[in-house]
Amino acid sequence: MHKSKNSKHIGLFIFFGFLLFLLGNQVDELRVYQGASVAVYVIAISSLILLTGYSGQVSLGHGALMAVGAYSAAVARNELHMPIVLTFFVAVITTAIAGALLGSAAARLSGPYLAGTTLALAIGLPSLANQFEVLGGEQGISFDVGYPPQRLGDDFTQYKWFFWIAALTALISMWLLSNILRSRYGRNWRAGRSNEVAAQLSGINTARSKILAFTLSAGIAGLAGALLSMTIGTVSPSAFPLALSFSLLAGAVLSGVSTLSGVMIGAVTLVAIPEIADVVAHRIGSSENVTTNLPGLIVSVLLILTVLFVPNGPVEQHHARAAKRAVNKKS
Amino acid sequence: MQLLNTILIGITAGSIYSLMAIAFVLVWRSTRVVNFAQAGMALLSTYIGYEAVTRFGSFWIALPVAMLGGALFAALVEVILMRLLVKHASTGPIAAVAPIIATLGLLGLIRSVIAMIWGGQDLRILPPVSNMGFTLNGETLVFSPLKLLILIITLVLMALLSLLFQRTNLGLSLRASAYAPEISRLSGVHVDLIRTLGWALAGAAGAVAGIFQTVNGNGNFSPDSIEFALLLVSGFIAAVIGGLDSLLGAVIGGMFLGIVIAFVLIYVNTSLFFIVPFIILLIVLFIRPQGIIGARAGRRA
Repeated sequence: MHKSKNSKHIGLFIFFGFLLFLLGNQVDELRVYQGASVAVYVIAISSLILLTGYSGQVSLGHGALMAVGAYSAAVARNELHMPIVLTFFVAVITTAIAGALLGSAAARLSGPYLAGTTLALAIGLPSLANQFEVLGGEQGISFDVGYPPQRLGDDFTQYKWFFWIAALTALISMWLLSNILRSRYGRNWRAGRSNEVAAQLSGINTARSKILAFTLSAGIAGLAGALLSMTIGTVSPSAFPLALSFSLLAGAVLSGVSTLSGVMIGAVTLVAIPEIADVVAHRIGSSENVTTNLPGLIVSVLLILTVLFVPNGPVEQHHARAAKRAVNKKS
Repeated sequence: MQLLNTILIGITAGSIYSLMAIAFVLVWRSTRVVNFAQAGMALLSTYIGYEAVTRFGSFWIALPVAMLGGALFAALVEVILMRLLVKHASTGPIAAVAPIIATLGLLGLIRSVIAMIWGGQDLRILPPVSNMGFTLNGETLVFSPLKLLILIITLVLMALLSLLFQRTNLGLSLRASAYAPEISRLSGVHVDLIRTLGWALAGAAGAVAGIFQTVNGNGNFSPDSIEFALLLVSGFIAAVIGGLDSLLGAVIGGMFLGIVIAFVLIYVNTSLFFIVPFIILLIVLFIRPQGIIGARAGRRA
């Protein structure tokens, strides 16, 4: 039974991929670029959902971990001239190692301590990049995945190529992740989150399980970082500000941290917010100060409102309501 | 001479971190929340102080005005945001992390609103006394009248705070509702009101930390001021070193952090500025996770 469920999921992901492929041919350049951004955010947010929703940890340092992934991919590309697929693997592995180190500290911490530690990391790490010649200081270094292959035709644009790479990576990693979450590991994480003592009593090594979650989450964040720098074309400290970590957290909370199925909501919202803010600012004809800070304001307000009123995310809320209705009907 | 300089710089910076750590501890004791918006509140208070300086032309009016503004705002946050949070987000997988996320959201909100009102450019508060170093035996120290003033005011405020906590009924209520809210409620303490007061005190302490951090630096501040990111991280780390529960621990933690950072900056490398606090935090959490003061078995937040 388990197997058939998995294969059904593969079919679903392939169907979704085909839909994306058709869509990518229909819309204009800007939308394609935004589509690539959505794919990047899907990966980044799912890494946070894995960490927060499944192992009960909060990280404010995922922006910094994305930077680790981006830098390692760029160095692998520029210095070692690796093929592009390999650079993504390098990004995942390097960041996972960093995550394992951080995770072994994190496993001993809980709640606010971990949040504060990762916050200190997010503020401290980008400034370290300036220390190493190979990382290019403030300017950063370029990360060029090259032109799309010739056989895709002449009108196949660079952005569409980005979109293909990002969307395919997102689909594959979502498929892998949703399978991991349904495996023994996923159950261990959930058990540890719900009740750590009970989980320990039933033979789960919660510390090791947390480190594993952090390692995997970091690896995925590194992948997202490499993809993000691919769409920008360069890697620099300023591409990974603290605001990025905040946005990711907002995206994860909007998606609902307890399930992976809402991840699109957060990703699309994060990409849409700057556009919405632009429209609103034009409508009310506001000053420059307001216009530039409106996206940040909207993200923060959404974050607070979601935590207050839909704390477990829209998908979970919907499920809970449906369950309640079913119970009411029965009685 | 350089050693003396380093220690004096460290103590001055450390006293500012201590104030910030005290703000963290006060909030933690009253509502069991680490308030990551503390730096945002301190920044807002600094802007209020700036407005007061431009209106009244005096630093000595601006400081109390900023403290009052910070206290009022913090009280408002407790009454509106924290009480709603307890009401709505206390179940489900997010319950443990909801306060963290809410205060972070608040941090972002404060930053955006400040940038909308005052713009993103640098503003400036001039120090009330000279920041030129004293001369000792013909050599100029880095330690200046301004740093001395910061140190004195900080110590006076800490003394007042400890008097409040140790010698008054109000302080007794504050301590009681931190340790046993239910029993305090039964013995007639208005626990909710006392919690709000705890936040207000923290807001005032943060306001002083914000203004001093500004004038102790180059006097400039902006919504994205790196000084305030440092203040947030340092205050948090100082509070963690001290055990997050203890005011004395916060002061010791702040001083320790200030002096260590000063030594690293002067004797090793100035570019390590931002990574040093992180490393200190990791070391502390590994070797003594319960903090210097405090004897609990482990950290269960």
